[in-house]
Amino acid sequence: MTAVTYEKAQRLYPGSTTPAVDALDLEIRDGEFMVLVGPSGCGKSTSLRMLAGLEEVTSGSIRIGDRDVTHLPPKDRDIAMVFQNYALYPHMTVAENMAFALKMAGVGKEERAARVKEAAALLDLDAYLDRKPKALSGGQRQRVAMGRAIVRQPQVFCMDEPLSNLDAKLRVSTRTQIAALQQRLGITTVYVTHDQVEAMTMGDRVAVLKDGVLQQVDTPLALYDKPANLFVAGFIGSPAMNLIEGELREGHAVVGGHEIPVDRAAAAAATGPVTLGVRPEAFRVVGEGQDGLPVKVTLVEELGADAYVYGTSGVEGTPSNVVVRVPGQVGHQKGSTIRVTTDPTAVHLFDNATGRRLNP
Amino acid sequence: MNTSRLGTRTDAGDPGSARVPGGTPGATTPPSTRTGQRAAGSGRRPRWTEDRVVPYLLVLPAVLIVVLLRIVPLVMGANFSFTGDGDANGAWVGLDNYRTLWDDEVFRTAMKNVGLLLLALPVAVAIPGLLATFLFLKVPGYRLYRSVYFFPVVLSPVIIGAIFNVVLSFDGPANQLLEKVGIEPIDWLGDSTYAMFTVIGVHIWATFGMALVIFMAGFATVDQSLLDAARSDGANLRQTVWHVIIPELSQTIQFVFVTTMIGMLTGMFGLLYIMTGGGPGGATYLPELYIWTQQGQMNRPALASAASMVLFVLMLVVGFAQLRLLKRATKES
Repeated sequence: MTAVTYEKAQRLYPGSTTPAVDALDLEIRDGEFMVLVGPSGCGKSTSLRMLAGLEEVTSGSIRIGDRDVTHLPPKDRDIAMVFQNYALYPHMTVAENMAFALKMAGVGKEERAARVKEAAALLDLDAYLDRKPKALSGGQRQRVAMGRAIVRQPQVFCMDEPLSNLDAKLRVSTRTQIAALQQRLGITTVYVTHDQVEAMTMGDRVAVLKDGVLQQVDTPLALYDKPANLFVAGFIGSPAMNLIEGELREGHAVVGGHEIPVDRAAAAAATGPVTLGVRPEAFRVVGEGQDGLPVKVTLVEELGADAYVYGTSGVEGTPSNVVVRVPGQVGHQKGSTIRVTTDPTAVHLFDNATGRRLNP
Repeated sequence: MNTSRLGTRTDAGDPGSARVPGGTPGATTPPSTRTGQRAAGSGRRPRWTEDRVVPYLLVLPAVLIVVLLRIVPLVMGANFSFTGDGDANGAWVGLDNYRTLWDDEVFRTAMKNVGLLLLALPVAVAIPGLLATFLFLKVPGYRLYRSVYFFPVVLSPVIIGAIFNVVLSFDGPANQLLEKVGIEPIDWLGDSTYAMFTVIGVHIWATFGMALVIFMAGFATVDQSLLDAARSDGANLRQTVWHVIIPELSQTIQFVFVTTMIGMLTGMFGLLYIMTGGGPGGATYLPELYIWTQQGQMNRPALASAASMVLFVLMLVVGFAQLRLLKRATKES
């Protein structure tokens, strides 16, 4: 049983008044792939380093299984860390890099060699065991960093943006490899990234952080479908959700004189001004004469299967930029104006004052 | 010989530089320049194009400085060491001067003392290395120590020698302190058993600040995430220093070793002059002091040249040996 539990875990840097991680409550289940995601400075890396023992916990506690590891040194936590720049020891060969932790732990020479061989086979590194990191490509170095974690057979993997030093194409393929590998090994993993696409594609569950505060933890789809607040709504999804300020009137939202249908229960829960959140794919283009939000097209991103229309809505009080997903190869022209509307079930309502989601 | 060769170099360079003004206006349109040049130099000297001359012209000043101020004196010095002093002034005497050195008790002591210096070298490197490690790990008060450690470096050897002459005199504060804890006073500078060690100790005290700064610069380049990796790999402080920090600082350590050695062999004259003057009984002679004595006091410049050559070769050999050894020792197999 190697669940990981953060209990009101806090990190306050000396000389700072606001904590880098503020009373984090998070439970990561046995064997789960948990992704911590958020913009830079949100405390995701700090949270991970607290678990790894590289960062002090100011208050609260962290447990791995039943053990309280809050104040244990890293070596007694049974975790393995994968670093963003891989942190491979430059003067050691791949094999030595991978065996280093075992050597420090006093594991015998033969077992070290056997475990390194096993991990190397798993990661397709057999041919490179005698090379120094300098003589490896970025992708190979990344795999060595993974291998260094795997040979330890730890209870928990901590991965701190392990893909951000790879080029875009390699990042996508490595992404699936890591997720598959984790599934196969079944080791509880905490994975930090600032890339929400990575978070959505890799995580069993995703924890979204902002300014050191946990915003929401849920499965990727649930985050997408039911963002708990304005921040999560804007952060998850690419292109981002359209967030439009509006007024509620008799079960409709009114944006600059144009009616947008909303969920009745959500409308009933509103007490003040609201923000409407509509995903680009939830808009649909309506024909001439029907009521809809006018959008003046400034750019069409044609992807083949579908296209994203970027435009500005001439309506006051709305964001100048609106993104609408339309079927591909329809050929909306720059400079033309289209009218869009949506369904009540597809509109997320957020309270302007608190940022909280109003939909049930 | 030298001058004539330099003469040809300048002659050959002149037509090239004369062609420069002609080439510059056409630089924006390379094809026409090339054809123009070819036309101008057709037949006469087709090989000396501007492109080929300019690089040599540009390195010439640096080469001249090195050759005139370094290589030529070195060769002259070597040559001079094979000539006689006094009555035999300038006459070729072969290896006579080197034989004289070999038979000279004082020079032999000086060489023995060089051996002592080499033995003290690891200590002279380890002290700043260790202190820099502590500073790097930010021990309490590290900011204060940082400046305090560097302080002696700005003092001249003459001042340091004078200070330690007082501190280490037979009835000075050092011995008074020893007396308080019940140890017999030591004649730090007057006893030939201790004198050389004393001066080496003072030299290390006076110069380790510079090595410390070099070490700290080296530490600044150590990748912080490697230390994190070592921590989460379960390495303790000693293992981290041994397996991560020392290999990472390999080049810094080599550099400090070599510069410290050179400092010891060439920078202790001031201290020796002030503190012992080579005494007692020639026990604290180093090659440098010996060279100065032979050249300046005894009026035997050729013999001094020979001693200089020995010192030069010694430094060359020791320096290379060190680099070879250290490269192997500080990097893991």
